[in-house]
Parts: sequence; structure tokens; C-alpha cells
Amino acid sequence: MTVPMTAGSQAAGDYVLKVEKLGKVYGGAIALRDVSLAIRRGTIHGLLGENGAGKSTLVGLISGQRQPSSGTIYLNDVPLAHSDVQKMEEAGVFLVTQEPMIIDHLSAAENLMLGIWPRRFGFVNWRKLRADAARMLAGTGIDGAMRAGALDAVARRKLNILRAMFSGGKVIILDEPTAALTVEDRKQLFDFMRRLKADGVTFIFISHYNDEILDICDAVSVLRDGALAGGSEDVGSLTSAQLSELVLGRGLVLFQRERRSFATDTPAVELRDIVGPSVRVPALDLRPGEVVGFTGLPGAGAKELARCIFGLTPVESGTIRFADGSATQDLPTSPRDAFASGIAFLSDDRRRDGAIGQMSIGANISLSSLTSVARSGFLSKEAELALSQRYFDAMGIKAPSAEVAVDTLSGGNQQKVCLGRVLATEPRVLILDEPTRGIDVGVKQDVLRIVDELSRTGVAVIIVSTDTDEITRAVDRVCIFENGTIARELTGSEITNDRLRGLEPS
Amino acid sequence: MSRTMTVAAKTPSQAGAKAGSRSALGWVLHNVVWIWLIALVVIFGLFNQFFFTVNNMQNIMVQATVLGMLGLAVALPLLVAEIDLSLPANLGFSSAIGAMAYSDWGLPWFPGMLIGVGVATFIGFFNGLCITKLKMVSLIQTLSMMIILQGALLALTQGRTITNLSDGYVWIGQATIGGWPIMPFIFVVALVGVGILLTRTVFGRRVYAVGGNPVASNSAGIRVDSVKIMIYTLAGFLAGIAGFLLASWQMAITSNQGSSYLLYAIAAPIIGGVSVFGGRGNVIGVLGGVLLLTVIQVGLAIISVPSFYVGMIGGFMIFVAVAIDAIRVRYFS
Ligand SMILES: Nc1ncnc2c1ncn2[C@@H]1O[C@H](COP(=O)(O)OP(=O)(O)OP(=O)(O)O)[C@@H](O)[C@H]1O
Ligand SMILES: [Mg+2]
Repeated sequence: MTVPMTAGSQAAGDYVLKVEKLGKVYGGAIALRDVSLAIRRGTIHGLLGENGAGKSTLVGLISGQRQPSSGTIYLNDVPLAHSDVQKMEEAGVFLVTQEPMIIDHLSAAENLMLGIWPRRFGFVNWRKLRADAARMLAGTGIDGAMRAGALDAVARRKLNILRAMFSGGKVIILDEPTAALTVEDRKQLFDFMRRLKADGVTFIFISHYNDEILDICDAVSVLRDGALAGGSEDVGSLTSAQLSELVLGRGLVLFQRERRSFATDTPAVELRDIVGPSVRVPALDLRPGEVVGFTGLPGAGAKELARCIFGLTPVESGTIRFADGSATQDLPTSPRDAFASGIAFLSDDRRRDGAIGQMSIGANISLSSLTSVARSGFLSKEAELALSQRYFDAMGIKAPSAEVAVDTLSGGNQQKVCLGRVLATEPRVLILDEPTRGIDVGVKQDVLRIVDELSRTGVAVIIVSTDTDEITRAVDRVCIFENGTIARELTGSEITNDRLRGLEPS
Repeated sequence: MSRTMTVAAKTPSQAGAKAGSRSALGWVLHNVVWIWLIALVVIFGLFNQFFFTVNNMQNIMVQATVLGMLGLAVALPLLVAEIDLSLPANLGFSSAIGAMAYSDWGLPWFPGMLIGVGVATFIGFFNGLCITKLKMVSLIQTLSMMIILQGALLALTQGRTITNLSDGYVWIGQATIGGWPIMPFIFVVALVGVGILLTRTVFGRRVYAVGGNPVASNSAGIRVDSVKIMIYTLAGFLAGIAGFLLASWQMAITSNQGSSYLLYAIAAPIIGGVSVFGGRGNVIGVLGGVLLLTVIQVGLAIISVPSFYVGMIGGFMIFVAVAIDAIRVRYFS
């Protein structure tokens, strides 16, 4: 790739944004300490770091979402006093937050135009709003008139991204925008970013995916434990391994599951005749210890089937039979039933459908296994503590203790809490929807390793993912979904990154 | 690879010190109800020595009992991010049913009282059903239930005050042990019971989860609807007990029994830190809110503030408590 802004004599005015000795303290914990960096106008600046390193905190301060405890932010060399999001947006700085920021009861179009409504005589110009929204949504498959609360996680995310991209902003900050986007969505986003960059728009781009950083960024800065730990002005010369090392401060060993064929094993679970809203799967067998990947375009059925099996989406028909000799049953009609029969599910939208933000890490981890740590309805403190501490440690959650509220954790660490809760139920069938969404490169390997170890104990695992690299590293078999059904399966050496990517129609 | 900037070596000790003083202020704001309560007790005591007498303390405790039971009941739906406005009306209506079971249907007072509490519990259960299964909005559903129950009480009493309560029925409201009224003990038992239920049981944990995030709770395997129905049922039960206690204490059931408690019963838990958005709050907070409101009421009466000003001054004191709490939430959480 080319780096348009090569080194040379640069006037101070070339930096659209500068931060000096920026610090942020939450309660007693230091989230960001003395971070200084400068961002060139018209570049895409990558911001990297492990979970909890302070990336979201930093961009939160820049965008006026939160106030710094110390330090100064300069926009076009003008120091900013007390600011807020509205002021910063008026100044042309837009942030797409890590978690979808959506007002559920408004329509998709209204969410898209929130705060940037077209106005006439001081009133919102509804006709123009709808027309603009339709233009922005063209080709995204999102219906502008739909209630935003009814959209899935990916669509909600796209609304936030599109809003920023069309805002006319001069500095656009994207906090992990690509998590859970398909290959095609990512490509569209990057094309869009390049076009805007050519018009002089500056981006700050946060991502845990090295390939994306290498593809699109001109410069990168790395945070570690709240401090600036390095960076590069010449991303083109870096390799993925070097990038990982920069982030982690150590080399990274990529995990690769030893694939095995399960074709001749007796199934642990037989799913039959599943007919639900936009899913139609006649038969699917899962063998004990097998890890199956579900992939496909949004709406093609991968996520939908996962939710049907867990009882989150009601089905018209569908049966499940476990290998333990029990009779064929209907699919569970509620998550509670699903847990009871040993099926556990991790949702792809942790904010809405995963963690209880105001409860502690420990209480979240034990939430789906409360009866196992209680006697006749009374919680056993020791048993609960032991359980939550076990998964707190196993997931490597970065927090002072398991007592702190999940709300105060970084996005990736919240994801680990959700994963911990699901694993703590000790399921027979584990369904993970985008399990490593927002998790850093180092921990991602740990998660894949944990899944691998779990499968060795005989658990059947389904991983729903749009991350082809994750699929190739973690699964034995891939089910590719099209039109609500399993169109193809890949096994063994057929599973390659290129093949999975190539299967996405472009 | 070049570093964009070097990391400054200085640690932000300045920021650390600032955090220290902030957390001290945070502690004060966090316990503002209790501090405000002690301050008011001292102030009232300075105005009138009688405030510190055992007699007055007993009076405060008795006064706090009915409000406390009702405040606890109101707190429960708030914890699951719902509300029940019908609880004070339920209190009045159910106690009248209980009393009539004795006076008009000839039942002994105890089964009569049980019928009253049973009716209250059932009304709570019914509210829960409407809100979960019919997905009625709790604010409106319980508002209409409140109006229905107030009307029913009026119809039942024909506007008269029921006073022919049996000695057994009014015993609990009048009895003392060693000079101390026993009614407050019932409140303490209820407080401890609900406290244990919320903090030590699986059900309690589910209550907080449902209040914090109902969608995630459902995905975590919690039956959100049944938790809410249980909560409404329990709230109805507590209102029924409160109704019995109030009637027993006053030895009378008026045709608008309980209605005057509505605002105070809602204010008490909220002042005590129970969030109207659900998932936050505990029984100690409810106790604080109840005592604060009771002390304000009793205190203003004792220092003989002209009655024209009582409402205004009391309201202002509540306003201060709530405003300070809002500031805490805004800046310290
Ligand atoms: N509201 C808060 N209260 C207390 N601590 C917080 C709060 N928000 C963030 N933190 C802490 O600040 C640190 C930095 O968090 P931040 O969200 O910036 O990380 P991040 O780099 O974005 O991580 P991720 O990749 O997981 O999104 C974390 O240790 C986190 O626990
Ligand atoms: Mg983050």
C-alpha cells in the first residue's frame, strides 16, 4: 500500500489533532497516563493495544464523551477546554463507539440522522431525512423504516458507522468498527474510508485485526497499560508478527487446532427438520468433541440457526436428540430449557444480550449456574466465589477483582466475562456467536485454546463467525449457510482462509 | 520503526491525590441519607428537647412501621425496573376486606385478617400477570388498579369508617413489651427477611439481574416473567400486612385508608437509593429513606411548625436529599 503523507518538512498545521500528557483516572484506577501523540491530517491512524490498554478511554476523551483527569487536547492547534460530544461533533470530530449506540424505539433512519437531522425553519425536515437515510442505506440491506431495536447487532453497528461516515466530519474515530462485519462489509468500509481520506478526512482506527491495520493504516500508535508503548509512521514496512509483538511486548504463537475427521463417530446431538423464521435445516449432526464452524452472509441462517437451537427464536418445527439414549425432543423453547438440557449460548451482542453491566464480574459469571452453587435456594458464598474465581482466572479477565462491576471493564474484558458465564454452565453443546469479538490477539489465542481443550472433554462446539482466520484455526468442519440452509460443508484440508473468503460473493 | 513519542516518566501523582479527595466526597454523598438523617435528628432535638425522649423515639418507630412495610413493597417492583402505584390502595382495600370478613361474615378475626392479606397478595399477583403476560405498562396498569381499589374501598365502606374491630385484631397495634411497642419488630422482621431474600438467595440474584438487563437475563436462562410475577405477588403480600398493621394501630379503617401514603411510600425507597431504572438498591437504603421521611414528619410536628408550612418544608427537605443523590450519580458513578 502507499503512504501518501511521507516524511518531509511538515508544518505544525499538518497535525489535525494532538494530545499532550493526557491522563484519565477512574476512582482510584489509572486508565490512561501521560499519553502524548499527534495525528497527521488526512491519514488513517491506527490505535492498537491489548484489552484494557486504554484505547476506548483515549478516544472517549478526544471525542468529548468523557473529561480528562489531566493533559490537553489540541484540535487544529487550538487547545480544547471542557468539551462534550455535541461540541466536538460541531467541530467535526465524530466517534463511533465500541458498543452500538442505538435508540431502540426510533427507526433505523432516525438513528442514522440522530443529531445531524436535516433542518428547515428550525424543524426536522422529515422528507429529506427519509430520502437521505435511504441514500445512505442503499446496498446495506437495512430497511430505514424498521424499528432499530429489531435489528441485529451487525446492522445496529452499521448504523453508527454510516452516521459518522456521512456526517461530513473532519476527524472520524472508529472504535473496533469491523468486529463481526463480513469480509464484504469490511471491504466496503475500507473503500469508503480511502475515498474520504482522499478528501482530507482524518481517521483514528481501532482494531484487533492485524491484517486490517496493515491494509489501511498509514501510522499506528500502541497503548499498553494506559501508557503509550510505541508506534510507527511507516506501517507498510511492518509484518503481522511484528505488529503483534509491538502490541503484546512479546512474540505471539498463533493457535492452530489439530483437525480431525469425526465423520464415522456416533453423533452426540442429532438436530432434525428445523424450520424457523428464515432457517430451514433438515439435518445436522454434532459429534462429541467436534468443533463446527457456522459461517455465511448476514441473514443466510448461521446466526439464526444458532439462536433457534438455544430457544431464543421460536421455531415452527425441529427436534433434538442427545446420544445419551434419551428420546427425541422438540427444540428448547427458552434459554432456560436449553441450559437445562446442556446447551449453552454466547450472544454476539454482549451489551444488550450478554452481561448485566451493573452487576459484579463474579455475579455475572455465576448467573447461569446459580442453582449449582446454591442449596435449597440459598446461595453458598464459598461455592459461588470458587466458581467465579475459577473462570475469572481462566479467562484472564483484567480487573482489580471479581467484585468490580462489569460496566467498568474494557470491551474485550466484558466479552471474557460473558464467555466465562457460558463456560461455567459446563454444557454438552456450546454455541458461540462471534466469541472473540473485541478480544485482543493474545487473548484470542487463549480463547481458541480453551475451546479446543473443552472439546477434548467431549463437548460439541459450534462457532458462528465471520472471522475466516478464526474459523480456520479453530474448527474441524465448516457449514456454509446460504438462504437459510447449509449449502456446503468443508472438512479437513478443505478449510482454508482463502477458500472461505473466496466463497463470499463479491 | 520509530516511536511517535516517548512515554513521559512522571507518574500522575497529582491525579492520584485528586482521586483521594474525590472519593472522600463520594463517600459522604454515598451515605447522604444517613448523614442527613442524623443532622435532622440533631436539629429537631435542638429546637425541642422532647425530640430526644424515649417516648418520641418509640413514636417515630411506630410511625415508620407502616411506611416502612409499604416502602419495602414499593421497592420490589422498582428493583425489576417496574412500578406498582396500587400498593397503598391495596393496603386500604385489603384491610377492609379482612375487617368485613370478621364483622359481616362472622369469621374469627384471625382468619379474617388472613383473608385480607390473601386478597392483597392476589391483587399483587394479578398485577404481575397483567404486566408480564399481557405486557401492560406497569405505570398505567397499576395506576388504574389504584383507582379501582380506592373506588372499591369507598363502595365497601359506603364512605363510613370501620371501627368495630375485635380486640384480637387490634392487639398487635397496641401491645407493648416492657413499654416498647411491638409493631416495629414486624417491620424489622420484614426488613431482614426481604434483605436475606435479595442478597442470599438465587431468587434475589435473579431479581437484580432482571432489573439490570432483562434481555440478557433471559439469555442467561432466567425466566424474567416469573421473577416479575413473584416480585409483584410479594409486594402485594407486604402491602396486605401493612394494611393489617395500620388498621390495628389506628383501630379504624377509613374510606380512603392508605391513600395518603402513596407519595411517601414511593419517595422512601428512591431516597434510599433504589433506582427507578431497576437493578440497584437494598433494604438498608429503604430503611434510611423511611426513617428520614418519618423524622421529617414527626420533627416538623414536634417543633410546632405552623401546619400551613409543614408540607412545603417537608417537601423541600426531601428535595435536598434527592438532589444530592442525583449529584452523586451524575459525578461519582
Ligand atoms: N467507567 C469506568 N470505571 C472504571 N474503570 C474504567 C471505566 N472505563 C474503563 N475503565 C478501565 O480503564 C481501562 C482502559 O479501558 P478501555 O476501555 O479504554 O480499554 P480498551 O483499550 O478500549 O480495551 P478493549 O480492547 O478491550 O476495548 C480498563 O482497565 C478499564 O477497566
Ligand atoms: Mg475498547
